[in-house]
Amino acid sequence: MTAIALSDVVYRYSRGGFTLRCPALELAPGELTLITGPNGSGKTTLSKLMCGILRPQEGQVRIFGHPAEELSLGEIGGRVGYLFQNPSRQLFASTVWQEMLFVPELLGEDLPRACGRAQELLVRFGLGELKERPVQVLSRGEKQRLAICTMLMGGAEFFILDEPTAGLDRTSREQLYRLLDELLAQGKGLAVISHSQELASRWRARRVRLAEGRVVA
Amino acid sequence: MSRVDPRVKLLWVVLCTSGAVLFARPLWMLGLTLFTLGGALLLGADFLGLGRRLRRFLPVLAMLTAVQILFVRTGTPLLTLGGRVLVTGEGLWKGLAAGLRLVIVFCASAVMMREDSRRVINSLIQMGVPYLFCFSLFAALCFLPLLSEAFAQALTALQLRGVNLKAVPWGQKLRLYAALIVPVLTEALARVEKLAAVMEARGFGALPRRTIYGRASMGAADWAAVCFLLVAGLTALRFYLAS
Repeated sequence: MTAIALSDVVYRYSRGGFTLRCPALELAPGELTLITGPNGSGKTTLSKLMCGILRPQEGQVRIFGHPAEELSLGEIGGRVGYLFQNPSRQLFASTVWQEMLFVPELLGEDLPRACGRAQELLVRFGLGELKERPVQVLSRGEKQRLAICTMLMGGAEFFILDEPTAGLDRTSREQLYRLLDELLAQGKGLAVISHSQELASRWRARRVRLAEGRVVA
Repeated sequence: MSRVDPRVKLLWVVLCTSGAVLFARPLWMLGLTLFTLGGALLLGADFLGLGRRLRRFLPVLAMLTAVQILFVRTGTPLLTLGGRVLVTGEGLWKGLAAGLRLVIVFCASAVMMREDSRRVINSLIQMGVPYLFCFSLFAALCFLPLLSEAFAQALTALQLRGVNLKAVPWGQKLRLYAALIVPVLTEALARVEKLAAVMEARGFGALPRRTIYGRASMGAADWAAVCFLLVAGLTALRFYLAS
């Protein structure tokens, strides 16, 4: 099954006159897709359409077979995770551990089970030692990894990452790449917006290139 | 009306927001809200943008109103359930007043958002207000849409973690919104620190006096508006205190 499919999608911004057109695009689970293009070409707009943050004026977006317009963001979030350019905006709790349990507690899930899963994920993604650390003092790379861990807690199967390598040093980039390797090994799908040649050359990823609001390759 | 002198707009903002704080009677508050909405319309407020902004804050507005309605226990009982008073007349009024106050603040900021910051700063400096104060005031106003955007993004991010907001009970929602404010405020504080550092690096406040390139001048219509606002404000105050 296709994870995310866009057909004849048109999205126009009310201000600025920018229009994104995407006649056809299919992203498969277990696959890494790099979305590239110059600044202002519509990469972030495309990624927000892919996870229902933006709704197209024309065409259709299907998420795991379901039309996106029939799903709430909460329902989409159960299967698709989105990493914002600024991960600080998607972390709400005081400490790393509280962040991992924020949504399970809110939704009244089985806490002992959630604790076990949180512990396992934190250790696997190199955050096990930082459990009690305040979220605000984490580095950008650590915040990104924590945000991805919280999405995994929610059961996400497909991840959209908006410029994940921006502002990261070499060590943090390596940690991010290992995390991406791990996600791919688990069969998760990834769509990564990036200008990074390093990222492009590391994986034989499928590339989607945008220019002036159109998918050109 | 968009070329109205910024000092007239500021006077209007000061009168409306002061009235919002001062008035504690239902009809006065309702009248002030209508006056503010009418003024915002005349002064070229972006009502579509304002509507979008208000829509985002609707849950917060509703929550503040509901808290006032349910927790103020004084006044005539209006709604009872099983012998227990749920809503009182005073509670209902205080809830509505809290909502109307926020509407007035949003209208005032919607008008000032469309104003050129340079014009505002220049005109205030001409009035003798210290530049440091003028710039700080306008920087604070400019932060409002950024805060709104950050809050909306935090809300989206939360939903994308599998939280269906409609299904969250009200008690939990209060905790949720309180948690959402944390990253928004943290980011705002970080932004303020950066702005302060950048301004200092560019020599802000290094010299005691500043020159002004474009001088603002008040036209006859502006003076008439100032007179009208002052007379209206003082008359309203007199009648309010006397009633």
